[in-house]
Amino acid sequence: MNDHPRISDFSGSDLDRMIPDESRFTAGVLIEPGKSYGFFTDTTVCIGCKACEVACKEWNNLPADHIGLTGQSFDNTGELSANTWRHVAFVEKSGCGGVRDNSEAPYQSGWLMLSDVCKHCHNAPCLEACPTGAIFRTEFDTVVVQQDICNGCGYCVPACPFGVVAVSENDGKAHKCTLCYDRLKGGLEPACSKACPTDSIQFGELSDLQARAAVRVEQLHGQGVGSAYLYGTPGAPGATGGLEHLNAFFLLTDRPEVYNFPVAPTRASNRVAPSLLSGLLTVAALATAASFILSSRDR
Amino acid sequence: MATMDGRITLVQESRFQLTDEAGVSHLFTLSPWCAAEPAQLRPLAHSQAPVRVTYKAGVDVIGQVAQRIDVQAEAGR
Ligand code: SF4
Ligand code: SF4
Repeated sequence: MNDHPRISDFSGSDLDRMIPDESRFTAGVLIEPGKSYGFFTDTTVCIGCKACEVACKEWNNLPADHIGLTGQSFDNTGELSANTWRHVAFVEKSGCGGVRDNSEAPYQSGWLMLSDVCKHCHNAPCLEACPTGAIFRTEFDTVVVQQDICNGCGYCVPACPFGVVAVSENDGKAHKCTLCYDRLKGGLEPACSKACPTDSIQFGELSDLQARAAVRVEQLHGQGVGSAYLYGTPGAPGATGGLEHLNAFFLLTDRPEVYNFPVAPTRASNRVAPSLLSGLLTVAALATAASFILSSRDR
Repeated sequence: MATMDGRITLVQESRFQLTDEAGVSHLFTLSPWCAAEPAQLRPLAHSQAPVRVTYKAGVDVIGQVAQRIDVQAEAGR
């Protein structure tokens, strides 16, 4: 019998301590400081079960929010927020190939589901905008808000091109996915990817995930899903405007805007120099005009 | 303001779970004006000290916003 190696290593059902480096068994990756980690979300296998949303809320002790029904398909979560760090989007496509069609091409052609999350951007605009240094890059190359330093100014909120980070009305601080920073430090893979029953969310070292994703796109193309492409890998859509790449990237089968993703996200810091320059030019132009008017009046 | 007695059984950042004497758990977040700091929550959870939380209902969440946490005397120990 071919037993999984974990069975002989940990035969007891009543563990008296944590399994060291548990992520080796659950995600096939050893978590070490100094390396880049992220998520590869393959939307073609997401079944919309929301296990990721629940696992995130459970682990992070986040309250349920936006109580009520949205009327938007099976999505009553609505959006990412200060208390919701994973959001499973349900996109019902209508018309030919839509959810009401009698026949469907493979891989969720009519009904798209995607588990959205903070992208842990390589050049994170939220981090660049934070005036207190509360948002920092961790030793695992992820982006985290340090709660005791955040003063709730909210500068990060408009800086994020994906609408991820939000300031809570209850504690006045900015919140978003931490890529389970505390779990990574303890050798555990993030709660959402561990809970995902179809491996739509895969956690791992970024270079491994990017290679795995490229193979998956090729496989889907071979199976007739020519629309499959990556969003957030270097040079791909989503990694535009100086973001370089997203540590949480996605495999999509429709245009980014169908999933409520920006087509070409940019860094807010790219706009600082042009804005400053145009402001200075405006002041100079007004001062010149004023001096011209005043001097012509004196004559 | 309403109060709830119990013990802190889970802590994440400034959020904590208070388990009341009936064994029911409730979710709280510290108000920015709370007379307690997030760093004080973990020691309270470790010591399992009985506490009284003074709170208001949270906005748009199933949870409460703690305004004050008082450590209570241990009954019958
Ligand atoms: S997605 Fe938004 S919140 Fe997440 S790292 Fe990028 S800019 Fe920051
Ligand atoms: S747990 Fe996996 S399959 Fe379920 S909704 Fe989340 S991403 Fe989709």
